[in-house]
Amino acid sequence: MTTQRSLFALACAGVIVMALLPLGLDPRGYEIRILCITLLFASLGQAWNIVGGLANQISLGHAAYFGIGAYTSTILLKLFALSPWLGGMIGMALAVAFALLLSLPTARLKGHYYALATLAAGEAMRVIANSWADVTGGPVGISVPYLPDGSLWMMQFPTVLPNYYLFLAALVVVCLIFWKIKTGALGYRLRAIKENEQAAEVIGVDTYRAKLIAACVSAAITAFLGTLYAQFQFFFDPDTIFGVATISVKMALIAILGGVGRLSGPLVGAAFIIPMEEIANSYFGSSAAGLSQFAYGAILVLVILLNPHGLTALFGQISARFTRKGATRDRSIA
Amino acid sequence: MQNLLTLLQTTIDGILIGGVYAVISIGLSLVFGVMHIVNFAHAEFLMIGMFIAWFAWFYAGIDPMLGAFIALAVTFLIGMVMQRTLIKPILHAPQVSQIFLTVGLLFALENGALLLFGADYRSVSTSYQTEALTLLSTEAGRLFVPLDKLYAFLMALLSGGALWYFLSRTRWGRAMRATAQDPMAARLMGIDTDRMYMIAFGLGVGTTAFGGAVILPYITASPTVGSQFVVLMFTAVVLGGLGSVAGAVVGGIMVGLIQSFSALFLPIQLMNLTLFVIFILVLAFRPEGLVARRRA
Amino acid sequence: MSKSSGTAALRATSLSRRTLLASGAAALAAPALGGRAFGQDAVNVGVIMPLSGPNAQFGINSRNGIQLVADEINANGGIKSMGGAPINLVIADSTSNPTQAATVAQRMMSQDNVVAVLGAFASSLTLAISEVTERRGVPLLTMSFSDQITDRGFRNVFQIVSVGSQIGAATFDYTRALAEQAGDTLERIAIMYEDTAYGTSQSAGLRAAAADAGIEVVMDEAYPLGITDVSPLINQLRRSDAQVVFPVSYLNDSLLIVRAMRQQGLDIPTVGGAAGYIIPDFRDGLGELADNVLSISPAAYDQAPEYTERFREKYGYFMVHEAQEHAACMGCLHSALETAGTADPDAIRERLQNDVFDEGWATVMTGGKVEFDEKGRNPHASPLMVQWQNGELATVYPKELAKAEVVWNG
Repeated sequence: MTTQRSLFALACAGVIVMALLPLGLDPRGYEIRILCITLLFASLGQAWNIVGGLANQISLGHAAYFGIGAYTSTILLKLFALSPWLGGMIGMALAVAFALLLSLPTARLKGHYYALATLAAGEAMRVIANSWADVTGGPVGISVPYLPDGSLWMMQFPTVLPNYYLFLAALVVVCLIFWKIKTGALGYRLRAIKENEQAAEVIGVDTYRAKLIAACVSAAITAFLGTLYAQFQFFFDPDTIFGVATISVKMALIAILGGVGRLSGPLVGAAFIIPMEEIANSYFGSSAAGLSQFAYGAILVLVILLNPHGLTALFGQISARFTRKGATRDRSIA
Repeated sequence: MQNLLTLLQTTIDGILIGGVYAVISIGLSLVFGVMHIVNFAHAEFLMIGMFIAWFAWFYAGIDPMLGAFIALAVTFLIGMVMQRTLIKPILHAPQVSQIFLTVGLLFALENGALLLFGADYRSVSTSYQTEALTLLSTEAGRLFVPLDKLYAFLMALLSGGALWYFLSRTRWGRAMRATAQDPMAARLMGIDTDRMYMIAFGLGVGTTAFGGAVILPYITASPTVGSQFVVLMFTAVVLGGLGSVAGAVVGGIMVGLIQSFSALFLPIQLMNLTLFVIFILVLAFRPEGLVARRRA
Repeated sequence: MSKSSGTAALRATSLSRRTLLASGAAALAAPALGGRAFGQDAVNVGVIMPLSGPNAQFGINSRNGIQLVADEINANGGIKSMGGAPINLVIADSTSNPTQAATVAQRMMSQDNVVAVLGAFASSLTLAISEVTERRGVPLLTMSFSDQITDRGFRNVFQIVSVGSQIGAATFDYTRALAEQAGDTLERIAIMYEDTAYGTSQSAGLRAAAADAGIEVVMDEAYPLGITDVSPLINQLRRSDAQVVFPVSYLNDSLLIVRAMRQQGLDIPTVGGAAGYIIPDFRDGLGELADNVLSISPAAYDQAPEYTERFREKYGYFMVHEAQEHAACMGCLHSALETAGTADPDAIRERLQNDVFDEGWATVMTGGKVEFDEKGRNPHASPLMVQWQNGELATVYPKELAKAEVVWNG
């Protein structure tokens, strides 16, 4: 069996296991909710991975797309009883428009400057959502109208089990997109840009377009995930959905922790971070205000100090150290 | 007449708070200028300064204006230690690492404070909080200078002036500027660049902490107060050009004026939006800043 | 999995196995760590309050009020119709963020068997929590005032105080009456309010009442809850030349506003919108500046001293209105439990909807009794105007309920 085939088989097995897992859990219970959030953040991390890992654009404002998706579908649902499936697609379109808009001033920015600009953009969205109360409900937040019986078309269900499958499907789709980009022509071009942008330009790579496409794809995915989130949580407010700490940095942290640029990175990162956060919150209760975020900060700092020059595949290196086949430095694409 | 008074008052307010923003932002610019690191966690040191001054006031009755010196000293030391342990390892690391280290530091500091001190707001009660200097009093209205803001402004001037003197007139200041310009050459000249980095970072976060302490009379302290100043600081620094200390001063005053004037026309909630937009535009079209000086 | 060759595949195996183990372990561990097991017969009552953040003081006060009543119930033999079952309060910190509050509520619904929930002081937090409790069919009792809370057709939400718009209207009407009493005519007023559900609903009431009376609102500004520099607001207030200002704030902003007003030499009558204006911390923070500040309040401790003084004995400060109202909620719940005789949320909901509560702690609300209409609102609730006098809050309006004379400095 070639490596490719065995990995593929492994992935299928993984999906099947994840699909069967919730059947043994209480569909109105808390555990399944944790799994849903884990899947959501794994998808978000993967979406961030497209720009952060492949295109090497450190975005600290991805929450903008998440919020745009969530607010668009929810507002359209409230005003026009529009199905969140459709509302979500409109949200995706708006997010792409925002990504395009943002790309204009940030096209030539790199590194710190790009991070700062995206941070500002995310925060700007948050301020707008907070003050445009007529449309978004302002700081009070916005609720998804309650449908006691649920409906697939309206993406609302009496238990959380169907949401779980939606999140799982989303994760599979996002991973497929990531894989396609990474191993395809776009990924090739992005890698060239990452290595040496000027050289890439010289050999004819349209760097602006490549980065833009990656950004738009990432934005669209993130926005749809926002819709899925809205239909799961039924309530959100600007500070959470556009939050730097709650969304933007968490997405990046998950991708980085698990291995930025790798397909498995966000999966591992989310599987570690989200349950840990929930356990901490459950266990410490009210004395833990800020504990999980403090932990993120501390973990980020430690992870980087451990290996400042190679943020990629930290887990990979640790596991390589422990597997019998030895610690060959992983420079492969997978 | 009332419109003229309003304009004058708004300008005075803008300059007063702008001066403080300037001092708060100088540190950020200094750190970038010398080490080429954007310290995302910089605003948290403002919070640390505020808390130190608050504790000094609460337990020892020390006025925040004096407590600011304590805040400066303590934060300077903290900064030096942090530079050695956290920043030094990433000085030559890829930008991803640098960005996320300081972002991680931001979360650790803010939430560490939250865990230690609780999320309650703490304010001080001083006599000058509720007093103002009347410059002009006519039927159409008054022109006045709030005392707490005035004192903060004067202290900010003091610290800004001291820093300027240090950088331009002392040997150590010169050494620091040399390190910023060309670390290799500086080392060849016998300058201990490692020590320069430590001092630069210490001074950078120390001055910000100083700024945080002097605004305590009119701003309440809480672990999350840093996040309100992040936009302001970064806008000020970017306006003046990342790395230019003088630029940060100009930038700070501009931010103060922009904020003051936008309060006249916009709802309070949108005041910061103007700054965000300006920030992004400046980054996009003139990343070297409006005060186009040669980068230090 | 059969023997696979190659480091990559092996690493992949270890990684995905690790993933499975991690998530599996986490999923299994969570309930074990979360469960708060108590005696079989105890009746679990959920209490979700902001115990941290800018509203922490209010959350703590509310919890204290509930605790007082629960302790009394338990000291008197628990729920008699359930064989003396004690009340067990399951207390959780909602934090100040609505989404976090909703998550906390979710956790509580899944892990603790609560028959009802009391929470969450701040209207925005209560709105978020009610989304959860409604979907789970668990009754929620609250003293948050936003109209939205009982405007959504939910069946499980019970609001014990008047709604925000009513409170806002009363604030205006009472103030006007007091001004007239002192010989002043109101012509220009200023409204400033924090922009979450609490401030928004009350200001709406104020605005409507002013419009009805034909009075000009010369300033009408919302400000963000965590505001740290109120000078733009006060500058505007000064320029507007209002005769009376109606600020609707929590604690931190209330302190900043009063101080800044004094700094700018503004001493027009200030009529607060409850919350930050009527807790001891307001007086502690401002000292003399607090004197003669008026405020509306949904309940006042000098109306029912036989009960409210017990709070002062236990906790050392006067019974703030949120503690009083939550105590009343607890009183109603107690009666509902006694009548229902079972720890079933549906049965409790039935009782809350249909019974009249006129015994025990329920009597500390205005009207001496509590009932909940089809929307979940209490028709007997009526706001009171209180004023800081000598470090205590005295009811000054309406006349029939006033315990002291108003001091008006128009």
